[in-house]
Amino acid sequence: MQFTTPETPLGLIFDVNLGQTIDSVLALALLHGLAGKQECRVASLTINYPDLRAAQLCEVIERYYLSASGPSLGGNLPTVAPIGVVESRKAPADQPLLAKTVALTDGDNRKLWASDIKKWNDTAIPEILIRNILMANFDGKAAMVVSGPATNLATLLNLPDIKPLIAAKLKVMVIADGEFPSGKPDAAFMSDLPAAKRVLADWPTPIVFSGRELGTQIPFPGASVESAFAYNPNHPIAAAYRAGHQMPYDVPAPAMAAVLYAIRLSEGYFKLSEPGVVSVSNDGRTEFRPSAEGKHRYLKADPAQVERVTKAYVELASAKPAAPPPRRLPPALQKLEEERAAAAKKQPPLSDPPEQQ
Amino acid sequence: MIITRKAVARRTFLRGVGATVALPFLDSMVPALATAATTPKPPVRMAFAYVPNGLNFKDYKLDYEGKLDKLSRILQPLEPYKQDINVLGNLTHNAGRALLDGPGDHGRCSASYLTGLQPRKTMSDIKAGVSFDQIVGQHVGAGTSFNTLELGIEDARQAGDCDSGYSCAYTNNLAWRAESQPLPPTLNPRALFERLFGDDAALSPEARRRRNLYRRSVLDLVSGDAKRLSQDLGPTDQRKLDEYLSSIREIELQLARADKDSIKIDPGFDKPYGIPADFAEHFSLMTNMLTVAFQSNLTRVATFLVTREGTSRAYREIGIPDGHHPLTHHRGQADLVEKVSRINVYHMQQFATWVGKLKAIKEGDSTLLDNCMIVYGAGLADGNRHSHEDLPTIMAGRGGGSFQPGRSIVYRKETPMCNLFLTMMDRMGVPTEHFGDSSGPLDGLDLT
Repeated sequence: MQFTTPETPLGLIFDVNLGQTIDSVLALALLHGLAGKQECRVASLTINYPDLRAAQLCEVIERYYLSASGPSLGGNLPTVAPIGVVESRKAPADQPLLAKTVALTDGDNRKLWASDIKKWNDTAIPEILIRNILMANFDGKAAMVVSGPATNLATLLNLPDIKPLIAAKLKVMVIADGEFPSGKPDAAFMSDLPAAKRVLADWPTPIVFSGRELGTQIPFPGASVESAFAYNPNHPIAAAYRAGHQMPYDVPAPAMAAVLYAIRLSEGYFKLSEPGVVSVSNDGRTEFRPSAEGKHRYLKADPAQVERVTKAYVELASAKPAAPPPRRLPPALQKLEEERAAAAKKQPPLSDPPEQQ
Repeated sequence: MIITRKAVARRTFLRGVGATVALPFLDSMVPALATAATTPKPPVRMAFAYVPNGLNFKDYKLDYEGKLDKLSRILQPLEPYKQDINVLGNLTHNAGRALLDGPGDHGRCSASYLTGLQPRKTMSDIKAGVSFDQIVGQHVGAGTSFNTLELGIEDARQAGDCDSGYSCAYTNNLAWRAESQPLPPTLNPRALFERLFGDDAALSPEARRRRNLYRRSVLDLVSGDAKRLSQDLGPTDQRKLDEYLSSIREIELQLARADKDSIKIDPGFDKPYGIPADFAEHFSLMTNMLTVAFQSNLTRVATFLVTREGTSRAYREIGIPDGHHPLTHHRGQADLVEKVSRINVYHMQQFATWVGKLKAIKEGDSTLLDNCMIVYGAGLADGNRHSHEDLPTIMAGRGGGSFQPGRSIVYRKETPMCNLFLTMMDRMGVPTEHFGDSSGPLDGLDLT
């Protein structure tokens, strides 16, 4: 895990239904675009539906972005930080985008990308991973974006003493599910309704929602894919996009909006609703009721910003992998260590071992 | 019906002037008319043997799950005991990680190993947490002489900076009685022996001086009692008692040798008088005494800090004059990597010998090892990378018949090491809902 200091960029905890929608894949790409500009760090990645192929795709994408660091020792593929996944003994549901992308082959019929993830124990327990990452961030220096079922959030809430930790660490929490102020049943909420209800009732921080309507109002422009990602013919993000549907097509992008908002809070890309309370009905419909005491808000499209947001989507999601900053102790820690070293030198010589019992 | 078998109380001692020797579990301690349901089971014991600086992971890690088959180079010494161990993968100590405290992995990983909490980074006002062995010891120690025993082989300094601002109290102790009160391990075998078997504290200074002068065997002191007891025992128990007393005698002879021989090899640190010349001899002495302590129910809980975290001890005994810790930062240099593996194997050989001794001791229909949970572990996985996940963890024994050994069990990544502690607490009869950063008991170890 990385050393962090109060000056370290915000760490984004991304709990995502990667591969269920192309929006989720683009949102991860956008997150890397922002991380490449040192505006944030990818603190942890967890998948919130039970499919190992989602973790494999996640690993492929992470390796792609790590490739800018150069080859690792011995020429091995870069080591990716543990990826959390909801575990299930049931066979995964059909996910054409996912299945097609991870199975892509080159001209010699060899798989384009390798993954070390073969079994559940090649992945992490998602709620423990999130808890551990929260502990590694300074107060107010983490953000969380969720796109997909609330399963991992609900299991996180089951851990002892977790609520104060979440409240202390998170600067912002954005959930890219639902439709606002009300709308059709939401597939993500429906897939784990008890978890959704638990999170809406018990989550210890304010939540901002990025709904389907926002995603539809500012979609990701499919026409940009062939040009923006052209610098790499085997770009995993573009490959996933092409695997999603017949090209070209635009996709609603609520998860991209959620990540962009969470990191560039003050950029004014979106409008915010008044405070209120979001509830979910038994058929998965979300409803927002205004309330001055409510901890929920939702993002609204600002017609004046649509073009700017779309431009940010394309530029950030297609950004080339950036080399990480040089590995050295952050300045604050470096200073601390120097002070400690100086203090240690002033200590009197160590005494002899104490008398034995 | 004529009952000829005479029951011996479980808490019978052989006593003499200045010595008390507890007895091992004998058949005669089972009441003559006991049925399987009423037969008292031998108690479950637990111990941790901690090795520092991680392991050379490539030579340690098994690349398979399920029934133990081909062992890795470092695990190879355990080949004869493959059916008595589980090799556990992916257990993690998050509290050992930097989190917000920067460098100091050695200090953190040892202080958090049994406490499950990140220690305060300091050289003065130390703070960690109560270690789980102490919690267990407090609950199960009532019928024993010692709630817990803390053993070690190396440095026991408690002050100064031992790692990037972490006090030596963090690297040099495993057990913590209170959050600011570590329990330094006993390093000197003779001190441990006298603690276990002698009543020196009760002797006058003159008597103690005389005893040290003549160095009489404690067995001589309790021989009258032993003879009397022997007359009441059946042939099997007589043999068990003889073997047990012989093992104590062996320890005494080892001690005497150590007293004479203590500076033959320089291990790289100052040794008090009586510390054995070489590492293997020291390890053997300490574990022999621990075995006797378990066998005779002097204690049920022990920690053994094999060497301290961050140690730069040299292993000239096996031709390695370099310090252990510097070697682990080998940067991939083949000759240094090889030396680390050799040290890791050497440690494992000593552990395997101990496992063999525990297995050789019968307890009713089982063995002492069957009734133990002995964890051989490290607070760092790979010493070169200072990683705190997938910590090397070997569990020897069947935990009183509740574990199914002989397997490589790989858990999901980030599984808290404290989950193992919860399971062990349960097997020790101290069920606990939460410890450290646990998320629930560890599955997969049970018989099912």
